[in-house]
Amino acid sequence: MNIRVTILTAVLALASSAYAADPPRKSENDSASIGTPVARSSGEADAMRVQGEQRFRANCGRCHAAPHKFPPRMMATIVRHMRVRATITDEDMRLVLFYMTQ
Amino acid sequence: MDHIVRTFGDRPGRACVRASCLVIFFCLIPALLKAQTPDPVPEMERPVPILTGNAGFFTNVNGGETELVPSITPVLLLPLGDRWLVESRAEFKGEFERGGGTGPYGGKVEQEIDYLQLDYIANRYLTVTAGRFLTPFGIYNERLYPIWIRSLQPTPLIFPLGTGSSDGVMLRGGFSLNPKVNLNYATYFSTLSTMNKFEADRLAGGRVGFFLPGPRIEAGVSFQKELQEERANAFGFHFAWQPAAVPLNLRAEYSRSHDGSGYWIEAAYRLSQVPFWQKALRRTEIVGRGQQLFAGEIDEDEAEEYGLPDVNTRQGDFGLNYYIQDGLKASASYSRRFNSDGNVNIWTVGLAYRFALPLGRVGPQ
Ligand code: HEC
Repeated sequence: MNIRVTILTAVLALASSAYAADPPRKSENDSASIGTPVARSSGEADAMRVQGEQRFRANCGRCHAAPHKFPPRMMATIVRHMRVRATITDEDMRLVLFYMTQ
Repeated sequence: MDHIVRTFGDRPGRACVRASCLVIFFCLIPALLKAQTPDPVPEMERPVPILTGNAGFFTNVNGGETELVPSITPVLLLPLGDRWLVESRAEFKGEFERGGGTGPYGGKVEQEIDYLQLDYIANRYLTVTAGRFLTPFGIYNERLYPIWIRSLQPTPLIFPLGTGSSDGVMLRGGFSLNPKVNLNYATYFSTLSTMNKFEADRLAGGRVGFFLPGPRIEAGVSFQKELQEERANAFGFHFAWQPAAVPLNLRAEYSRSHDGSGYWIEAAYRLSQVPFWQKALRRTEIVGRGQQLFAGEIDEDEAEEYGLPDVNTRQGDFGLNYYIQDGLKASASYSRRFNSDGNVNIWTVGLAYRFALPLGRVGPQ
């Protein structure tokens, strides 16, 4: 029990200090957060949508039937969950989130 | 800490649990504070807590004995700030049989905590997880286990080998090595726990997989070392392929451990390309699976406890799934099991439903 508490404490303390000391984001690519990427032009938005659909097709039907769209705030939670569970890449998740919230 | 322990008096077990709860709470404060500070993500795109999970009702006939199996498996997802996620899944499963073969149905309700974990997405290569998590060995437990996902309701014979839930720390992630290959990995350490609902073995292990998004092929290996009792090693291999041209899902797993070894190979084919009765057939999936288990150095009681056959066993499974709507499916399966204890037929039929409800305002879709 004691060992467990110590390990858990150490990890949580480490993780939370890393989190608190998190430097400001340098660029979209450096950031680990899961926000919807911002398209700078409508051409870019179209390209991202196409890419997003491709990533959705390659990834989101692999384990279960590909789901329908949920409201954007739910989709943001779901892709975070799937990112961790399914070890999907950061880039795939961003594009899928963009596609699923358009 | 001294103060905390003294406050909780002379029951060290309880004091420890409470102390660790407090520690967790204090460690979470920076995250909670940060979650409160204005965020560059617009309000309408900020993740909302979700209650999801699945519910189902199945009737199983196993070697002539009928069993009714209602189940509900809630999953709670609580995102904090833009890098944290608390996730938890509990499982409540009834197993009701007729007393004496003719009496009223009765039985027990199993309750499990499958995972209760805190995830921190450190960067694009690494997520740190602490708490109770599904042991990342092979693919069935982490990816296919929920009843709304699995193509065949009976779990594979080798399912108990190497997997279950662990209490400890896990590092995992997935990233692309180049546009054609993604790598994913998970490595973990688990401590021994005999606490009710949080039972775990002392182990360490890992899994590495390569996913090719073009041909949609994934292959990977798992390994595990027990750090108690026999200090046994376990090894696993997995493969999955979803060819883009046909609605086919091919999956296979092999595991070897002290308790046994074996494999399963499964093919699930969605009838969406059949040119007639399109309306019904595009929602229909047929499934076949072949599997074999070679019993290990394990006695009858242990085998029973782990849910493993204690003799060499072969099994063929056939299933039919009908996807009624997103998250809802009707399933039926037939399996034939061959071993020296006598061959048996296993039938299952029922419904599985996945739900997802926001625990907060989501605004218009
Ligand atoms: C590696 C397998 C895998 C992949 C790939 C995957 N999922 Fe999942 N998904 C799961 C599992 C397993 C669950 C059930 C989680 C549980 O019950 O513990 C799930 C659950 C869900 C749910 C129910 C809500 C929730 O978060 O639990 C949704 C919606 C979902 N996935 C969407 C997606 C989307 C969108 C993608 C593509 C980005 C995706 N999934 C890719 C395995 C996967």
